[in-house]
Parts: sequence; C-alpha cells; structure tokens
Amino acid sequence: MNKRKWKQVQVILAFLIIPVGLLILFTYYPFGKMVQFSFYNMKYIGPRKFVGLRNYIQIFKREDILRTLLLSLYYMVGSVVQVFAALYLATIFCFKVKAENFWKGFIFFPYLINGIAIGFIFKFFYTRGFVLDTVLQTIGFNLDNLPYWLKDQSINNWSLVYSSVWRYLGSTMVLFLGAMMSVDSTLYEAASIDGANKWQTFWHIILPSIKTIVTLNVILSITGSLSAFEPPYVITSGANGTGTFFVVMNDIAHTSQKVGLASAMAVFLLVIIFIAKFLQEGIFRFLFRNAGTDADERTLKKQRKIAAKSKQQIGGK
Amino acid sequence: MRLKKFVALMTASSIAMSLAACGQAAKTEETPKADSVDAAADSADTQNSSEEASSEEAENGTATEDAADNSSSDVDVADNNYTSVVLGETGKDITTTIKLLTHRTDMLADDYPGTNWASYIAAFNEVYPNITVDVEGITDYAEDSLLRLQGGDWGDVMMIPGIDASEYANYFMPYGTVENMESVIRFAKDKQYDDIVYGIPSTGNAQGVLYNKAVFEQAGIDTLPTTPEEFIEDLKLIKEKTDAIPLYTNYAAGWTMGAWDAYIAGTATGDATYMNQKLPHTANPFSDPGDGTHAYNVYKVLYDAVAEGLIEDDYSTTDWEGCKGMINRGEIGTMVLGSWAYSQMQAAGDKPEDIGYMSFPIKVNGKQYASAGPDYAFGINKDASDDNRLAALVFVKWMTNESGFSYNEGGIPINAEDNNYPDLYAAFDGVEYVSDETALPGEEDLKDTLNSDSELNVNNGGDKKVQSIIEHASNGDMTFDEIMDSWNQAWTEAQELSGVEIKY
Repeated sequence: MNKRKWKQVQVILAFLIIPVGLLILFTYYPFGKMVQFSFYNMKYIGPRKFVGLRNYIQIFKREDILRTLLLSLYYMVGSVVQVFAALYLATIFCFKVKAENFWKGFIFFPYLINGIAIGFIFKFFYTRGFVLDTVLQTIGFNLDNLPYWLKDQSINNWSLVYSSVWRYLGSTMVLFLGAMMSVDSTLYEAASIDGANKWQTFWHIILPSIKTIVTLNVILSITGSLSAFEPPYVITSGANGTGTFFVVMNDIAHTSQKVGLASAMAVFLLVIIFIAKFLQEGIFRFLFRNAGTDADERTLKKQRKIAAKSKQQIGGK
Repeated sequence: MRLKKFVALMTASSIAMSLAACGQAAKTEETPKADSVDAAADSADTQNSSEEASSEEAENGTATEDAADNSSSDVDVADNNYTSVVLGETGKDITTTIKLLTHRTDMLADDYPGTNWASYIAAFNEVYPNITVDVEGITDYAEDSLLRLQGGDWGDVMMIPGIDASEYANYFMPYGTVENMESVIRFAKDKQYDDIVYGIPSTGNAQGVLYNKAVFEQAGIDTLPTTPEEFIEDLKLIKEKTDAIPLYTNYAAGWTMGAWDAYIAGTATGDATYMNQKLPHTANPFSDPGDGTHAYNVYKVLYDAVAEGLIEDDYSTTDWEGCKGMINRGEIGTMVLGSWAYSQMQAAGDKPEDIGYMSFPIKVNGKQYASAGPDYAFGINKDASDDNRLAALVFVKWMTNESGFSYNEGGIPINAEDNNYPDLYAAFDGVEYVSDETALPGEEDLKDTLNSDSELNVNNGGDKKVQSIIEHASNGDMTFDEIMDSWNQAWTEAQELSGVEIKY
C-alpha cells in the first residue's frame, strides 16, 4: 500500500470510528444485554437468577400476551388501507391538481403534530357527546344509535387504528410522491402520446418505478403495526382490550418489573418482525414478478409464448 | 494538498467532537432517570452481574460503618431529642440560619389561598427571633431531592425522599426511639429503622370517599352509608332522584383506579399489620371471608356499582381534571379518593361547601376503620453544625406542634395529643384510624416480589387489575367471583414461586 492510500485509510477510519463506536455502545451492546436479560428472572434492582428458556416458554403459555399479537392485525389492516390511500392520493397529485401544494400540506400536517398531542386530540374526539358524536348528530344520526367509540370492545381498536392512519397517511403519501417526482417526465409524455389512460400510466409507469418505495412503506407499516404503542398508550392507556404487544410489554417491564420476561418479549417481537419481513419479500417478488425493469423481457416472453402457441396450433392442425 | 489534508482533518475532528457531544448529552439525560439512590448504585451492578455478590458485600460493609458513625451523633442528640425540646425555651439563645427544602412550592407564593411559608416563618420568628429560616421549593421533588441528598450540601431540614429505610442513618439525625416518639406523635413508625425514628411527618391523610352534600340531600340521604349494601342503595337513590352520576370511577386516568387498593388493608380489616406483614402470607387474600370485610368486599362495591349502571355513561373517556369541577357543581355524587383530593375538589368551583368526605362504607365487627398514612416527613441533616441541628429540631417541633400546618392543610394532626381535626373529618367521628405498619425485618422486599410475580401490583400501581373489574362488570363476561379467583390464583402462584410460608 502506498503512502497516499494509507493516509486515505486513516481518514476513513477517523470518520468511522466514532459513529461505529457509538452505534456499538448505544445499540448493539444494549441489545446484547437485553438478549442476556431475557434468560434471567430479574427486576431492575436485586438479585437475578438464570432460568434458561423459561421466559420464552411463558410467552407462548400466556394467553394475554399472545392475544395482543392479534391486535396487531387491526393495525395491519389499517396500514394496508393507509398504503393504498396514500398511493391513490400521491397518484392524483402526480397529475394536474388545483392548489396542489395546499392540499399536500393539508394532508401532511397531522404528521407534524406530536404523537402524544394526537392521542389527546382523539381522546376528546371520541368522548361520548363530544366532537365526533356532535358532527355525526348534525348530519342526522341519533346519539342513542351511535356506538361508544372507546368503550365498546368490538370497535375501540378500530377507533385507535383510525387515529394512527390519520397521522401517518401524509408521510406515506409524501414518500410516494417523492419517488413519483423522480420518474423521468418524458415517460409520462411518451405514455400520453401513445394514448395511455391514467390507469395504464399508473400501472405500467408509476408503479414499477416506485417499487422500492412501496416495499419500504409496506415494511414500515408492518413493523409499525406490530409495535403500535402511542395510540393505545395515550388514548386508552392500554385498558379495555386495547393493550398492544408494546403496551403490555411496557407494563410488564415497568409496573410489574419483570425485566427478564419483557426482554424475552422484545426478542420474540424482533423474530416476528424478521419473519414478517421475509414473508413480505417473498410476496412482493411474486406480485412484482411482471413489473419493473424486466418489462421488456416479459413482452419478449409473451411474444415467444404467442409464437409457440400459434406454432402449436399450426402443428395441431 | 496540504490544505486539503488540513481541511479533511479539521472536518473529521469537528464531526468527532460533535458526535462525542451527542454521546455526552445522551449520558446526562440518563442520569435523572435513575429513580432512587439504589437504582443508580444498581445500574452499576447491571454492568457486571457476576460482581454482584461482592458489591453487595461492599454495601453491607459501608452500612455497618455508617451505623458505627451514627452512634457518635446519637450521643449529642441524647441531650436534645424531639421529646425533650420545650418550645420557647430550648435553643432560645441560638442565632443561626437554617435552610428548608420543601415539595410545597405552591406555599411559596404570596397568593397561596392558605397560610404560606412566609407567614409560618414570621410566626416562628415571634418565638425564635434569632433563627432565620430559608425555604427552597423544588418542583420535581421526588427525583430532584434524591440528587440533592446525595450531593450532601442541601441544607438543614428536608422532606425525606424515597430512600431505603436502612439508608436513613447515613443522612438524617435520629429523633428518638419509636417507643418514646409514639407517645408524642402519630405515624411515628413511618420513617423508622431499627427502632430509631428519623422523620417527623408534616401531616397525615386518610382514605375515604368524597361526596357532594347537595346531591345527597336531594337524593334524600340523611345518614351516611356505613356498609357496602347501604352505599349501593344510596347510589341507586342518587340515580333515581337526581341527575348526578352516582359514582364517578375516573377509569381512564388509571392511577385513580389503582387507588382502590388503599382501602383493602386498614379500612377493610382494621388491622395495621395486614398490608405489609400479613398479606404476603395470606392464602387466597381475595376470597370472600363471609363477614363483609377484606379486599373482596371492597372491590365488590365497584363491581356492583358498575353492574347496576351506577357509574358514568362512558367510563373509557373520563377526565380527571374535569371531574373536579363536576363534583363541585353537583354533577357527581361520590368519588373514591384519598383525603388529599378534598381541597382540590373544593377549589375547583363555586361551591366548596358542598364537598363532603366520609369513611369508606365497610365495617369490621360492627366498627368502621379508615386507613391513614403520613405525608412527607421532616428529616434533619445529620452533618449540619450542632447549632443548626438544634435550631432545625426546634423548627420541626414547632411546625408539627404549634404552627397549625396540618390543620390548615386539611390533614390529620401529627401531635399525638392534638385532636383538633379539620372539618373534613367531621364524618369520621367514631371511625378508628389505622396506619399501616412497615414490613417485618427481613421481609422488606417480599410484598414487592409477590406483586411483581403475580402482576397484581397491589397498592403499587396495579391500575390495570382494578380497571379490569369495571370492564368485566360492564361487559358481563366474567362474574366477580371469577375475577377474584383469577387474582387468588396469580397470588398463590407468586407465593409458591418465592416459597412463602402461608400463615393466615
């Protein structure tokens, strides 16, 4: 290695050592500790006892913990709605819209509000006879026929999911919009010259170009719904059947001080998120098998297929 | 080339600096999170669990040393301890300035509706003109006072923060033996260790039920309920005859639900040793004893009230701040909260005279009891100069005996001979106050362990379990006995896990 190269390496190391050091110190080291704690029966203070896999076994034995995972399904449904709605809105903004920036800002605004504040907003929003009920009454609903948005266990989770969708819709939309903006505008022109309608433009040009962002948003939504915390924690404090995995974990770790069990739950959640990510990757590979850069290849394949078919037909005859 | 190198180095180092600064900030942020003195010590343990045993030994070592230390300060207090101080005579010739750390920052304001610190100190200076008292208020008292305490240079008198009983002797001057102190003050056992008292409570609170007198009158209730049955009947009357919510649960706030746990011991058993000494050794503590007492019958009041529709319409969106004005205006009949809440409810509207306070409607062998507990206690810095310690002692005795502080704040008097209870306790005539005794030696952590293992967290943030009573009662998916059985089961499993001997 010549002298100059060595200098370069030195500079690189100088830049890297601190961020990597901090990353190890504040992320990987605590994570390692957490994995270690998950094998102990311990509180924050006091003696600890090694219990092997007991904490993990407990997670599977405890119905109340497993049931919280089902709650994530509510949030996943919500995130699907959120991704589709955001995709729809972003596509609309891609074409000509009046007062475009105003509407973009309008939809993005909730994301700028602090999550705790949003919690309080929705707490009053759903309170019996308050905002939502008043609005619904003015458009003709009778208060007696309206459900209790947070008390009724069959709908209170949907109420919470809605607050989460309301908050994150704008940010998802902006991510999509950013990706769509970076699509070469000549493609749109070419498409319109070729007489493509809006749906065709979306399906053949926009969607393949923003594939990565769609994937990213879906991953974020899935991990987000598995680790939903703020809405239930602030609005209902996790009571009344709204305690998600995170809220219950927080309770076990801090109120009951079962640090070992809570650590095991965190590791368990990490594994689930990994699994969800791989599943999602597989599904996307399947869904997008026809889209994207291999579009030309596909047409080629199709032509070949047609050719083969016609040959067959000819041969058959 | 040289310039480039220089710039690159400068950039690298400045980035390094800024990152290091970030790390620093993260670290300093962590410090206040350490809840207590031991938490800080223990986070050191967390670093290395294998060293735990040795560090524990070390702790024990320092403890014995301090105990030895302490015996020396014991000697000079023997001349002037709490009981021997005669106000107006002892320490008359001292000229000094003492400093008081307090959590009552509201009392520093000139417009405080009650008597503020300045007035108390002015009154004190009429008797002791040469002792100047400086008061420092700390807003986030529970946490900041711990840091100040460890810093050492905090002053002469403070309200003792949440530290282990075994640590008292390291920081505070002893007032006397439990036996001697019990004859002169109430709640003497609150801040004791090894039979030595280290703190004098500033005032005391009792556990009862808040109610609106006007609502009760309108409902035609002329005698206050003393049993769960009478209470439920009265709630029904309120529902029938008034527009008020009979019992406001404050479900959504959470901690207001956990507050129900405070009624299961002294109030429901009349036994001062129940909460901290008997409960851990009790088999199935949540079963029905059959005589209308104990935890079962306390929580049953709540379950029945919910099942009979005697609570607010939508419990999931109750509002703690809002409830204060509502009970003041007569929109709420009753709320189950400690006496500390009384003055807040009075101050929340135009009708303070309508707020009443009664004992929890439960009887043990025909007699009513009320759990009572001390508020923050005055502790005196053991490292202060002799003059300051004596001056502080005189001031503490004056505050608890002469100042009227407890009465003005609506609390139970501290002086054992003072029976001048504030109006709020008018309805507690014939009710015996029970103050929980601390855990037996060697079992200080037992209840915490059981609470943690069972996840019931009795009297320690167990909000969820009490909330679940309301949920099940409202949805009708679990009977009261089923809920209690599940709690018993959790408690029994926790007892088995710790190998607790069942005595009761």
